[in-house]
Amino acid sequence: MVNTDGQLYTIEGLAASLILLLTAFLVVNTTSVFTLGDTHISDMQLETTGNDALAMMDHAVNATPSGTIGKSPLRQIVEVPDSANRTLFVQMFDNITNNRSIGRDRIQFSANFSYAHGTAMMPSSTPVNMTTPLGSSRFLTGGEHAVRATRWLIADVGDPPGTMASARERAVLVEVYLWRD
Amino acid sequence: MARLKDDAQWIVLMGFIVSFSLFFLALVLNQSTVIGQTTAESVSEFPKDDIRGIRSLMIQDAYLDTTDANNIRYDIQTLAMSRQNAVVSFWNTSTSTSTETFTTGEILYNNGVLIYKEEWTARE
Repeated sequence: MVNTDGQLYTIEGLAASLILLLTAFLVVNTTSVFTLGDTHISDMQLETTGNDALAMMDHAVNATPSGTIGKSPLRQIVEVPDSANRTLFVQMFDNITNNRSIGRDRIQFSANFSYAHGTAMMPSSTPVNMTTPLGSSRFLTGGEHAVRATRWLIADVGDPPGTMASARERAVLVEVYLWRD
Repeated sequence: MARLKDDAQWIVLMGFIVSFSLFFLALVLNQSTVIGQTTAESVSEFPKDDIRGIRSLMIQDAYLDTTDANNIRYDIQTLAMSRQNAVVSFWNTSTSTSTETFTTGEILYNNGVLIYKEEWTARE
């Protein structure tokens, strides 16, 4: 007489092997995606570092006893963006972002600022000048994986910057591209 | 015919339970690695620093004289539109009672993905 008990064991064996195979697939798959998540986390940290550095540079000194309020270093640099002040910006930003307890970090950056031309009162008809450089630690070639940090400030910027005759209170947007090499 | 011994069924059942629990643990581990990525992505995409910067300027604007305040209002709108792809608008008003002066302002920010609206009041 033919016995059919063996069929049950075969089906169980097949089911168990399928489950084991799926589990092994998931486990191997799990370890292979770690690098992706890491990339974005370091981008986020780099952006925060840049924003914090700009915030520190935009911190004015305390008012003097006579009552005059000092301008922040960033505001002074933006108002007169000559070569001496651009060097100052590079040194300051480089020191704040790359400072570590042991050695130095490898953060590179390229900075510029934008402001609106003239006195036109309609946003759409006011051209924006976005080409004033604030210096860079290295030239941006396009191959870098850069993030952007920005800082808004009010400054007496001339048009073009540094021209006293046309200086008035302007909203200025400082933009810094940061990357690690 | 001899009776089939069915003790082994317990072993097979336990095997099933163990393999299923392993399966679900692996599923949880698999999902957990994506969490860091999606969180970092959504943090990077959320324009927190853009809004904070623009907000600080809008509030400073309320305490400038009229000419500077108007100039800077249009500067902010122009720059936000061209450099940050955001449409912004704000109003500041000052109200006085017999004893106190209140400055209030309304801030609107829209970059197509995120809409931010704020009303603030300060007593001088």
